[in-house]
Amino acid sequence: MKRKTKRKAKPARTRRPVRRARKSKAPPEATSADATDAMVAASARALGLTLDPAWHRSVAVNLRLILRFGALVDEFALPDDAEPAPVFHA
Amino acid sequence: MPDAASDTAWSSAADIAAAVTAGEVGATGVIEAAFATIRERDPLLNSFTTVTERRARMRAQALDAARARGEKLGPLAGVPFAVKNLFDVEGVPTRAGSKINRDLPPAPRDATLIERLEAAGAVLVGALNMGEYAYDFTGENVHDGASRNPHDLDRMTGGSSGGSGAAVGGGLVPLALGSDTNGSIRVPASLCGIYGLKPTYGRLSRARTFPFVASLDHVGPFARSVRDLALAYDAMQGPDAADPVCADHAVAPVTPLLTRGIDDLRIAVAGGYFKCKAAEPLAALDRVASALGANRDIDIPQVERARAAAFVITASEGASLHLDRIRTRARDYDPAVRDRLIAGAMTPATYVIKAQKFRRWHREQVLKIFEDVDAILAPATPCAAPLIGQQTFLFGGVEMPVRANLGLYTQPISFIGLPVVAVPVPLAPLPIAVQIIAAPWREDVALRVAYALEAQGVVAARRPGL
Repeated sequence: MKRKTKRKAKPARTRRPVRRARKSKAPPEATSADATDAMVAASARALGLTLDPAWHRSVAVNLRLILRFGALVDEFALPDDAEPAPVFHA
Repeated sequence: MPDAASDTAWSSAADIAAAVTAGEVGATGVIEAAFATIRERDPLLNSFTTVTERRARMRAQALDAARARGEKLGPLAGVPFAVKNLFDVEGVPTRAGSKINRDLPPAPRDATLIERLEAAGAVLVGALNMGEYAYDFTGENVHDGASRNPHDLDRMTGGSSGGSGAAVGGGLVPLALGSDTNGSIRVPASLCGIYGLKPTYGRLSRARTFPFVASLDHVGPFARSVRDLALAYDAMQGPDAADPVCADHAVAPVTPLLTRGIDDLRIAVAGGYFKCKAAEPLAALDRVASALGANRDIDIPQVERARAAAFVITASEGASLHLDRIRTRARDYDPAVRDRLIAGAMTPATYVIKAQKFRRWHREQVLKIFEDVDAILAPATPCAAPLIGQQTFLFGGVEMPVRANLGLYTQPISFIGLPVVAVPVPLAPLPIAVQIIAAPWREDVALRVAYALEAQGVVAARRPGL
């Protein structure tokens, strides 16, 4: 059997701004209905929230929307030194 | 222009102030007329939640006495105004559209912007209905009832500053204050057919207002004319140490600049995401762009992602603000607001931080656009006023939820804090607004463009047939 040659390691990337969005990825696992339902239940316990079962579906629908929007933001490539704008000066 | 002394229901703030200053009418007479109009029309519009008659009468009497002594009155002398009920009004619990906040003690002091308007001679006459805790685009409120659109009482005002839109559009007051986190001034201005100014983030003090999303909260005025909007804005400008976000900028009055014209301004139309296919916003935008000779399209990058990031920040910060109340009084919330807040509390922190990083990146891209243009035109809302209770609307042939999408065009702009004037295009049967967007701190540019459009008769606050 012919032995595969070991791939040469890529040089470490220098820090430079990455300004272009990557191609859209599939939505993360958490946005599937089952995963979101589980996330609602687990998060409610962790946060000390008592959810009436009647609210669960509506909360899950809202959370799926947040996660979908969050994934859209998350998939956008930003440089490592990008600064957040928690106190924003326009 | 209606005579301020005889038609207080539709007089401009500028005309009222001029008439009071000249002694043609007393401030007391103006305020009593305003209360009469509120008593007559508010049962239809449901815009007021508190009427501050005693305080307003004392204030008006003091103004009339000052004039009698020969003292100089301010630029808003005797002008009645009201505020969204998230502004602190001394002696009144700041309910912020909620049931829960009614248990708060009365506010010990007025919000900064109320103090500044009253220092200019204006007279506070009450507090206004709003969507619960400002998490709303409709103007509906399960505790106080929906505020109603003055052009069709069966229709929404838009929100969350719904009472502000109804009170100014319905002729109850010539000026009102609202807040705008994702569109809550511009959406009701559009649906109620009046002018609204969302200034640059950090321009006007939010001190002693009930917050929603600290990263995105703005406050600003509504009016029925551009001059009134500018007069109110000028009276409210200035740093305020009580709001850490309020910038240390010198007061830069815009009222004297309104008549300067717009020949030197480069005006473009927002393309891409903002290229609207729905009939009403498209007709309004075409009318405004044509009047301005704006035939250049510019593409703002990554607008959909900007809206998404604003959505994520709103959900998370709003939830953080309310988490304790959700733990203890969840059943006292509007169920729709409660469920959004609970979901917001579950937002992964990594998304929120990324959204704040994206926000800075997006601002840098948009600032580059303002090197080549001075103002950008965009639709304000994707439709004219929907019916109260309406859940969906048709947008370019696609059925979309009303509540989540009325801010489709406003949310990405407030995300990076740009100043915007929403100008009402009096389409029949219902008005709809266009956003005039300027670079940060250039409210003067947006107001000059608005003034030029108003002078041409292209935009106007049409009097409703109440």
